[in-house]
Amino acid sequence: MSEKTFHLIISSVGETHFDGEAVSATVPGSEGELTVLAHHEPFVTALRTGSIVVRLPGGETKKFPNSNGILEFSGNKAVVLL
Amino acid sequence: MASLKSLKVKIYSYKKTGTVTKAMQAVSAVKMRKAQERALSGRAYAATSLSILQRLSGTSDVKRHALLQTRTGKTCLVIVTSDKGLAGSLNSAVIRKAEAEILRLNLKKEDVIIIGVGRRGAEYFASRGYDVKLKFENIADGVSEDEMRMVTDKVLNWHEEGEVSACIVAYTNFISTFEQEPVVRQIVPIDPEMFALMVARIRPAKGKYSPVPADEKAVAPSVYTIEPDADSVLRVLLPKLLNIAVFHAHIESKASEHSARMVAMKSATDKANEMASSFTRTFNKVRQAAITREVSEITSGMEAMK
Repeated sequence: MSEKTFHLIISSVGETHFDGEAVSATVPGSEGELTVLAHHEPFVTALRTGSIVVRLPGGETKKFPNSNGILEFSGNKAVVLL
Repeated sequence: MASLKSLKVKIYSYKKTGTVTKAMQAVSAVKMRKAQERALSGRAYAATSLSILQRLSGTSDVKRHALLQTRTGKTCLVIVTSDKGLAGSLNSAVIRKAEAEILRLNLKKEDVIIIGVGRRGAEYFASRGYDVKLKFENIADGVSEDEMRMVTDKVLNWHEEGEVSACIVAYTNFISTFEQEPVVRQIVPIDPEMFALMVARIRPAKGKYSPVPADEKAVAPSVYTIEPDADSVLRVLLPKLLNIAVFHAHIESKASEHSARMVAMKSATDKANEMASSFTRTFNKVRQAAITREVSEITSGMEAMK
């Protein structure tokens, strides 16, 4: 069975850092670290300083630094605003 | 009639001017395209932060937030113009619009604090006795986010200290290559509807970048979990929105500047070519007249010797 993925966009003003399918994203939430998977319930949270770890289909991981962002998840689509 | 030599010099200089303006036109065309691309690359960002705000704006926490409150105090005017001229009526149009807004809001000179982005606007208001607190020049087309954050942070700072109650931005909105529109938008206090309008206007009316991609029309879910609470999300979100507004004002102005310059240079090139060809015609006439005169002098001389 193939892994379930969701559409993830990581962008800052005027620049998109990541735009594609991801299996999971681990982010430093304001209330502690959290990992979002595909079909998460719609939610929005503020992020703390730290790094965002994205797991891509196929097991590869990518890391993005984050200082003061917001994560929004809705309709199997996640957007991180840095 | 002018001498052959002086006509020749004139034709040469017109042709030279034409070459220069043609080169400037080509450079502006490339820069315009780049600025447009950049304006659109930030669109997803703007749309998402706006949709978060719209979804949060139902809760009472949002309405109580300081940045959404109206109060009395000075008004900050961010005027976005170009550093250089040769761009038609672009800068004067923005300045006129900003002045009209100051009149409409019934503001006195002492009640206005100016942040000048681009030399033209800053100089204009400084020479008319306005308080120009900050001035940014030589901002590259690439506009780094940090530069824009300097503007946003300053505005937020003043707002927090109570020095400034409102902030308006005057800039040029890029509609198409031949059409730019000077606009004034209020960014503090934050009005979600105004931001919606601003985000919708990011896309130009015509051309390569005008169709709206399907995924941007996604419908927002009605149930929404906010963690940890609306207030802390807003604290992060609202400065971001302001930053987007300032950034877009700038990038739109850049695109407008380059397209206005491109059009201005195009008409300058056309005019130079027209002048060169009209002078070439005069030059040919004068040359022909001189030849005819010489021929008749020679023939009449020969007649006299007979």
